[in-house]
Amino acid sequence: MKKYTYTILAFLLCWTTACKKLDTLPPSIVKDDDVFATAAGIQAYMSRMYSELPIEDFRYSPERGLNMFWIISPTSATTGEALSRDQNGSMQENTGLSTWGDCYRVIRDANYFAETLPKYASNFTSDQVNNWLGEARFVRAATYFALVKRYGGVPLVDKVLNYPEQSIEELKIPRSSEEKIYDFIGTDLDYAYTNLPETNQAGRASKYAAAGFKSRAMLYAGTIAKYNQITLVDGGGNRLCGIPAAKAVTYFKAAYDAAALLDGKYSLYKKAWAAGDKNAQYLNYVNMFFDASSPENIFVRQYHYPESVHGYDAYNVPRQLMGANGYSSEVNPTLDFVELFDGFPKNADGTIKTTTGGKYDLYTNTVDIFANAEPRLRATVVLPGDVMKGVSIEIRRGIYTGPTAGGISPLLPAGSTAHYPTDNIVQSANASQTPYKLPNGTTMNPAGLSGYFTGDGTNSVSGFSIRKYIVPDKPTSEVLENRSDQTWIELRYAEVLLNRAEAAVELNALGQSDKSYLQDAFTQINAIRERAGADLLTGTADLSINVVRKERKKELGFENKQYWDMRRWRVADKEQNSTIYRTLMPFYSANDGKYFFDARLDERNSRYTFDVRWYYEQIPQGEIQKSQNLIQNPGY
Amino acid sequence: MKKLFYSIALSVLVAAGSSCKKVDNYAAPNVTLKGTVTDAGNGKSLQTEQGSGTRIKLLEISWSANPTPFYISSFQDGTYQNTKLFAGKNVISAEGAFVPLVQVDNTGKTIVDKSQTVDVKDVTTVNFSVEPFLRIEWVGDPVLNADGTITTSFKVTRGTADPNFQQNVSDVAVFVNSNNYVGNNNYDNRYTPKLGGNDANNSVGKTLSLTTLGGALPGKRSYFIRVGARVSYGLNYYNYTDVKEVKVP
Repeated sequence: MKKYTYTILAFLLCWTTACKKLDTLPPSIVKDDDVFATAAGIQAYMSRMYSELPIEDFRYSPERGLNMFWIISPTSATTGEALSRDQNGSMQENTGLSTWGDCYRVIRDANYFAETLPKYASNFTSDQVNNWLGEARFVRAATYFALVKRYGGVPLVDKVLNYPEQSIEELKIPRSSEEKIYDFIGTDLDYAYTNLPETNQAGRASKYAAAGFKSRAMLYAGTIAKYNQITLVDGGGNRLCGIPAAKAVTYFKAAYDAAALLDGKYSLYKKAWAAGDKNAQYLNYVNMFFDASSPENIFVRQYHYPESVHGYDAYNVPRQLMGANGYSSEVNPTLDFVELFDGFPKNADGTIKTTTGGKYDLYTNTVDIFANAEPRLRATVVLPGDVMKGVSIEIRRGIYTGPTAGGISPLLPAGSTAHYPTDNIVQSANASQTPYKLPNGTTMNPAGLSGYFTGDGTNSVSGFSIRKYIVPDKPTSEVLENRSDQTWIELRYAEVLLNRAEAAVELNALGQSDKSYLQDAFTQINAIRERAGADLLTGTADLSINVVRKERKKELGFENKQYWDMRRWRVADKEQNSTIYRTLMPFYSANDGKYFFDARLDERNSRYTFDVRWYYEQIPQGEIQKSQNLIQNPGY
Repeated sequence: MKKLFYSIALSVLVAAGSSCKKVDNYAAPNVTLKGTVTDAGNGKSLQTEQGSGTRIKLLEISWSANPTPFYISSFQDGTYQNTKLFAGKNVISAEGAFVPLVQVDNTGKTIVDKSQTVDVKDVTTVNFSVEPFLRIEWVGDPVLNADGTITTSFKVTRGTADPNFQQNVSDVAVFVNSNNYVGNNNYDNRYTPKLGGNDANNSVGKTLSLTTLGGALPGKRSYFIRVGARVSYGLNYYNYTDVKEVKVP
C-alpha cells in the first residue's frame, strides 16, 4: 500500500516542474495565423466551406437532408419524376433536419473569412485577396439562396456575431423580408462576379458561376413575385413570405441579364455529337456527365474515392447489376416522365399508345417500342430491354399464358389500381424465380432479371430504370455504398440557357419589348433540343411558358432541380393532388412469343398530395425556441 | 477492499435515492377549451378539412407579451375541443377558409382584430362567427344513377361581401372517398369530378351537377361525398359542405 502512495507522490511531483508557461493555447487548436498566413491554409478553409455548401447533390434527399451518404429515399421520387420503394409520397424537407442551423454555420464561416482575410492581405497579391473575398461572397450567396428557397425571408446576418460581447437580445435577429434576401443574394453575386477570376480550380467558383447562380436566384424571385399567393407580414411591415407582383419584371430582367453574361464563355457539350446520328447524340448525352473537360460545366462538386464519396451507383443501378451491399433500383422513372419525350407511339392526349382497336400491340423485343425514341430519353432513362454496361436490362412484369386468337384485350380496366388477375399470368414474388415452360419447349423466368417482382419491391417498380449519372463502365465489384466518386454538376450551361429562356418568355408575357425576348427564348430552346436530338420548334408561335417548363423538366430531370421548380411555379399542389403516377409494364405473351405493354397507374398505389403550406417550409421549432423573434411560416 | 467498495457503492446509492425529496407535483393540465366556428351568414357550423383546415390559435399572454402560438385543429364539422390545457389568459383566434379574424396590412399594422381575450379555466367555451370565402349548399341529395355513377347537385355562393376577398374561384370538386373523412387531403381521384379555371370561376351562384368519373362505381359499399370549393387566397383553404353517404348496392 505504501509503495503505491510513494509512486503516486513521485508522479505528482513531476507535474509541478512542467508548468512553465500557463497562458498558452493547446497546439491542437488551429489559429488564424496558421490558416490565413499561407495560400495553402486558405485553400483548406475554402475546401471546408465548399464541402458544406448546401447544394442538393448525390448526397441529398428531402427525407435525409444535405451531405448524407445514405440516400435511399431519392428527391426525384417526391416530384413524380420517379417511383421508389422507399419514398412513397410528396414531402416538405424533413423538419427534423438541421438545414437551418447548418446554413448559418456556413454563413458564419464566410463572414469570418471576409472579416479576417484583410488583416493578412500583405501576405498576398491584391488579385488573390479579391478572388478569395469574391469566393466568400459566392458561398454566402449560395447559402442564403438555400435558405430563402425553403423558408422565405430569413434573418440577415452579414457579419460575424459574437457572444458574450453582444447580448442575447441583440442576437435574436428577426427575419428580413423575402425580397430583401433575394436582393442581398443579388448584391453578393454581383460582388463575386466582379472579383472572381475567369476560371478557377474545379469545384470552386469562377465569375461565371456567380453569374449563373444569379440567373437562377433571380429567376426564382421573379416567379415567386408572379405566382405566389401566400402573404406573411411582420409587425414592422416586412413581407416575410411573398414578393410584390410589381417586382416580377425587375427580377426576370436581372435573371435574363445575368444569364447573358455567359454568352460565348460556355457551350453545350457536343464532343461526340453528330447531326442526324441518334446513337452519337445518345452517347454524347451520356458522356456529358463524366467529362471533366466539358465546356458545359460551370460549377461542380468533385468527389474522390476513398476520401470523399457517395453511393449513387449502388443505390440506383438496375436490379440485375446489383452490387454486394444488396441495394439497387431506388430511382425508377415514371411513365409520366417518359411521356414528356417524343419518339414512340402516342395517343392523341400524349400518353403512350400500347393498344390498337382495344387489343395490345405486339413487339418482338421490349425495346422495339422505343426504337425511335429521343436520344436524350435513352440517355436519361434505361428503357426496358436497352443495354447498360454491356447487358440488356430485362424488365418484364410476367408471362401472359391466356388465349391470343384475335388479340389480347387489356388486362385491367383503364384507371385501375388493382393487382393483375392471376388466372392467365405467371409472375414472380422475388428474384429467385421458377422458370416457366413455354409452348415451344424452352423455359423463361416469369419476371425479368430487373423485375418486376410482386413481393419485395427491390426492382424496377415503374418499368424503367435510371441511366443519368450511372457510371457506364463501373464493374459490379465496385458498385458499393461509399464507393462512387463521379462529379456532381451543380450548374451546367443548359440550365443557364433554360433560365434565360424562361425569364425571356415571362418578360414577353409581362409586356416587355425592349429586347426581342421571344426570339431569344426560341434560339435557346432549340439549341437544347438540337443537342438532345429532339424535334425542333418551328417558330416562336410554338413557344409558351409551358413549353419552356416542359423542356426544363426533360433536360434537368433527376438533377434535383424539379423539386424546387414545382414549388416556385406554385404548381406542386395542382400536379400532386391525390395523384398516382403511371408505370409501363411489359408482358411476354407465351402463345405469341412476343411482348405487349400495359400502361397503368402505379400498382403499389402510392398517392402524392402536396400541401399548400409547404411552399414555405416549417421553420424548426428548436430555432424559434432559441430565438423567439422568429415568426413561423403560415399554417404550421 | 471488496467490502469497502460495496459499502461505498451502497452509500452512494442510498444517497442518490434519498436525495429526491421533492416530487414533481404540479397538477397535470385539466382545463378544457371547446367551441364552434360558425358561418355568420346562416348560423351553421363551418365545415372544414380534417387536419389541414380550420384551427384555433392560442396566444397565452399570462407570462409573455410575445408568446409562441399554440394551435388546436378543429374537427371537420367545425367544432373543436382540447381537454388538456393549463389555465391561463389567452388571446384566441381562428384560421381557416374564411375572412381572417386578424388582418395585417403591408406596413405591418393590424387593421382588423377580432380575436378574443379569454381567461381559460375549468371548461371554457369560445365560439367564433366568421364569414366564409364561399358557401356551398346541397341542392337535394346525391343521386345514384342507373349506370352506377353518382350525380351531385350543389350551389356555390360568395360567403362574404368584403371586397378584399372576392378572389377567383380556382377549384370546385365533388370529393368521393370510401370513408367519412373526405376532402382535398383524402379522396379518390379515380371517381372525383373537378372543375378548374374558368369553369370553376363561372360556377358562382349557379346550381351545378357533377357526376362521378370512371364509369360505374364498384358496388356493395358506401361512398362518402362532399363538395368543396376554394378561392385563390393565402393557403388556398377549401370550403365544404357536410358529408353525405351514398350506398351502392
